[in-house]
Amino acid sequence: MTRYILFRILWLIIVLLVVSFITFSLMHLVPGGPWDKTKTLAPQVVEALNKKYGLDKPFFAQFGDFLWNILHGDLGVSYTLQDRSVTSIILQGLPKTATLGVIAFILAILIGIPFGMAAALKQNSIIDYLSVIFSTIFASIPGFVLGILLIIIFSVELHWLPTGGWGSVQQIIMPAFALATLPAAFIARITRSSTLEVMRQDYVRTAQAMGIKQRVILVRHILRNALIPVVTMAGPELAFLVSGSFIIENLFSIPGIGRMFVNGVFARDYGLIMGSVLFYGFVVAGLNLVVDILYGVIDPRIRYD
Amino acid sequence: MTIAAESVRPHHTLWGDAWIRLRRNKLAVTGGVIILLITLLAIIYPFFSKYDFASQDLNAILQSPSSEHLLGTDELGRDVMTRLITGARTSLMVGIFTQIIVLAIGLPLGAISGATGGKTDNFIMRFVDIIYAFPDLLLIILLRSILGGSIYMIFLAIGLVNWVGVARLVRGQILSLKQRDFVTAARVFGGTGGYITTRHLLPNSLGPVIVTVTFNIPRAIFTEAALSYIGIGVQPPTPSWGAMIRDGYNVIFAAPHLVLFPAIAIGILMLSFTFLGDGLRDALDPRLRR
Amino acid sequence: MVKKILTIFFSLVIIASLVIFPSCSSAPSGPQELTVNIAGEPAQIDPNRASWSTERTVIMQVFEGLLGFKQDLSLEAVGATEIPTVDNDGISADGKTYTFKLNEDVTWSDGVKVTANNYVYSIKRLFDPTNAAEYASFYFDIVGGEAYYSSSDQDATAQAALKAAIGVRAVDTYTLEIKLVNARPTFLQLMALWPVYPVREDIITQYGATWTEPPHYIGNGPFLMTEWVHSDHITLVKNPNYWGEKAKLDTLTLNMITDANALFAAYQNNEVDIAGVPAGTEKTVMADTVLGPQILRYAELTTFAFQFNVEVAPFTNKNLRKALNAAIDREAFINNVRGGVGQPAYSWIPPGMPGYDANLGLDYHFSATKAQEFLTAAGYTNGSEVPELHLQYADTGINPTIAQFIQQQVKVNLNIDVVIEPMERAAFTQAVNAEQYSWAWYGWGADYPDPDNWLPQLFGTGAGNNHTNYSSAEFDSLCAQAAIQLDNAQRLALYAQAQALVVNDAPVLFMFYRERFVLVKPNVKGLKYTGMDGDVAGDMFFANVWIEN
Repeated sequence: MTRYILFRILWLIIVLLVVSFITFSLMHLVPGGPWDKTKTLAPQVVEALNKKYGLDKPFFAQFGDFLWNILHGDLGVSYTLQDRSVTSIILQGLPKTATLGVIAFILAILIGIPFGMAAALKQNSIIDYLSVIFSTIFASIPGFVLGILLIIIFSVELHWLPTGGWGSVQQIIMPAFALATLPAAFIARITRSSTLEVMRQDYVRTAQAMGIKQRVILVRHILRNALIPVVTMAGPELAFLVSGSFIIENLFSIPGIGRMFVNGVFARDYGLIMGSVLFYGFVVAGLNLVVDILYGVIDPRIRYD
Repeated sequence: MTIAAESVRPHHTLWGDAWIRLRRNKLAVTGGVIILLITLLAIIYPFFSKYDFASQDLNAILQSPSSEHLLGTDELGRDVMTRLITGARTSLMVGIFTQIIVLAIGLPLGAISGATGGKTDNFIMRFVDIIYAFPDLLLIILLRSILGGSIYMIFLAIGLVNWVGVARLVRGQILSLKQRDFVTAARVFGGTGGYITTRHLLPNSLGPVIVTVTFNIPRAIFTEAALSYIGIGVQPPTPSWGAMIRDGYNVIFAAPHLVLFPAIAIGILMLSFTFLGDGLRDALDPRLRR
Repeated sequence: MVKKILTIFFSLVIIASLVIFPSCSSAPSGPQELTVNIAGEPAQIDPNRASWSTERTVIMQVFEGLLGFKQDLSLEAVGATEIPTVDNDGISADGKTYTFKLNEDVTWSDGVKVTANNYVYSIKRLFDPTNAAEYASFYFDIVGGEAYYSSSDQDATAQAALKAAIGVRAVDTYTLEIKLVNARPTFLQLMALWPVYPVREDIITQYGATWTEPPHYIGNGPFLMTEWVHSDHITLVKNPNYWGEKAKLDTLTLNMITDANALFAAYQNNEVDIAGVPAGTEKTVMADTVLGPQILRYAELTTFAFQFNVEVAPFTNKNLRKALNAAIDREAFINNVRGGVGQPAYSWIPPGMPGYDANLGLDYHFSATKAQEFLTAAGYTNGSEVPELHLQYADTGINPTIAQFIQQQVKVNLNIDVVIEPMERAAFTQAVNAEQYSWAWYGWGADYPDPDNWLPQLFGTGAGNNHTNYSSAEFDSLCAQAAIQLDNAQRLALYAQAQALVVNDAPVLFMFYRERFVLVKPNVKGLKYTGMDGDVAGDMFFANVWIEN
């Protein structure tokens, strides 16, 4: 297992390298650059800017510079955000995005798994139908619509919660909830589906026939096996949540990295894009590794050849 | 000898049996019928509608539902009902075609990866890692600038960035199933890898995959809405539910019905796909064979 | 006797109270805090380098220049003692030398006096190629400016020499002299803009790029910045060392809510005091009993249009362009789709600016018949003969709505098919700047209220902001004459001819003049707004605002 982990970490580095290179190439292929403004910049200015940020060097030289800087822990500077270092920008935005993402994820799990299991255990009962209907409703409403509905109800009409921003507990409630509903619905459905499957397994029936308490069966057998698909999709879901939901951050004015990255892409802020991509790639690949390890833990029958 | 004949079960293949069972599942049938109805309506209604989806009545802006306009009008005075039904076309296409791409790439890759294991598995999974770690937005923007704003670009873009979920799911299922007794048994009987994968492993791993796909269809519709929200959507004035939600969102304080109706439409479609999906999953579950 | 004493006593009391508490009734009481919203995180609040209205809003609170604008957009002396004229020797007879006498009372917020050297440093810095200042080209009339700006390919010594050769110097501590290449009649207006606000050399040298973070962001304006939580908000407080009349507000907070609906909700939840409304909801807001009375509307000096790439067929055909101009029912658009907010535009310069002519563009008032006439003159009997037109726009805000409106109007009134092409914002900007478009959405807002800012740059042959490829020798000649015409009346007459030419040649489809439509909380008093405001209504004069509690 240890050898496997080491091997995966090596691969992580290679993955990041490839991703950086592809992103770098893409950035330069996409039309529009950081200096395209509505009030056209004089050609001398563009030249000066390119020189300042090293954009006048040949393609591979630029990439080489980027890699060299990475090795020194320097993720570059943002072209559109006052030349601040990308590292400082990420450090400022990350805690907010990550906190929001983790809270939303926990909410999604806390709502999704119990609902899903309850629906499966009492299949075709009221609970089952309600769970299906609710998960459908929440899955039918895009995040920004749900978000604004929450704002209308709790801020505009009731004046209970602030409309956005970051810093206090009240400011996290709505965005976390808006972010959590779609994953929660998804998790509920998958849990239900896979719990049903597990429940039909012979070993479960055997255990029931043997008179083992339902609760024990639930925990010992059903839960573990039903969770495999959940864990599979949980990894990327968490990565997505942690790396930033642009739409929710935009709606609730949360100064997180999701919003900054998307704005960076639109502004063609090469510095910010490269640094963020590296960071995002690291988080995602890292989480996938964790998921794969968890597979082995949950289902001892899974072997990595 | 007649008794023996009567006690022999009629012979069905896995898929044939699945079809029979599916037909018996009332909810699934309802779901399927609704989807078909919506599709038919989307194709036929525009020919019978009083209004064209693009015709603007500037004197009837942002009207609530009335006898003139059953579902009201939008910010340019267009009839919401007509746009909603015409939009079904676009949204259904987005939902279905993206999933076709997702399945076409994700299923085989995930299956091969899980079933073969070893180096192939590693290689494919690392490739998946790369795609995962990739900023979708950048790829979508690039695709858009190369291919223009056509709807095929949107299918491709959404499909290309989403297949990894299915691939990993399938692989996970297969990894778990590989160790099961029926697989060992099939091997003992001389089944080759390919045979085992297609006849045993894949059908059994389809459960969560089907659920994922039925969820991904509306999710693709939202992705299209989200892309519209940030400026990369279907070319107007062709309506799509996602674009209608995005446009309605801008005036939600003045005319909430513009968001409500497409959202309900997506909900109905999604419920239908869910029931159908559940039915498919139950139908394909070999343990429920009779 | 007692009566006399009492009378004297009470008189003394009254006099005393009048002396001791003179402004009792007019002094604002209660917390003086204003919260407003800017469009997003400012990219750059360095005065020399800033260009965006969001940045301008911040800069205007913390800095001031030699000259400024009054509410009616006429000039006033701020950092200077008086506006230079020929009579007071502020302007030389040939119009090429400007001398500004600085007001010696003006100080930076840390107490240091503002001197002419601060301005010299600032102006030279504006032309420094490494700063890539977008507005530097506006000041190329200053001797040596352009040469230094274009010198990035030269070595350090050459650059230093060019920098030293720039025509701006401190005659003495409080006198600034600027030399121009040619006389420029609108130069004084340029000196009222933010790119030439003074900045502190010692601070910038010491802190480099971080000088724009508090507490190093030292300015000479009525407010100072105490906090900048990036992408979240900026907090400004009253500058206690401000040399002039101190601001009445204690705190001014600039939030950065980017979603229009969230902003509207924040206003209704009493989190911000001034806010715009989501486009399309204007009618509903006007009808609302609570919000209706809180509306503030005024014309902005901004024109929106659709530019044609006149080198791309079929837009090469002038009569086709005119046909399109006449085929659009702008009134219906403004009154119905925009809830009456804005004014239809049939010419380029907006009302409120010198040079506005309501009699131009009469041909373009909506008339399907007129449009058809133009079409026939263009050589097409029927719109179906016209090849498919392609309209590009950045897919943000209400642009899609406007584009779809145009598409339908052209189809219905001229029977011409228009394919609209939404583009991602940066891709769109690049396409327009590279002139790789056929027909695109376009807007221009006043930097200063003069046709000088509106015509040569946008329609002159090869001008930096002319992406229509429009080229008219007559227009260029008129603008060239106007540029050096010192008599204001004659100058404006020349520009009037130039504008008439542009309107007649129709290199753009004139659409509408924008109107600002915002909500202001009733307890916000003293708001002075102009057609040139930045992100927030009244942000040019926030020092005047106070809160009634």
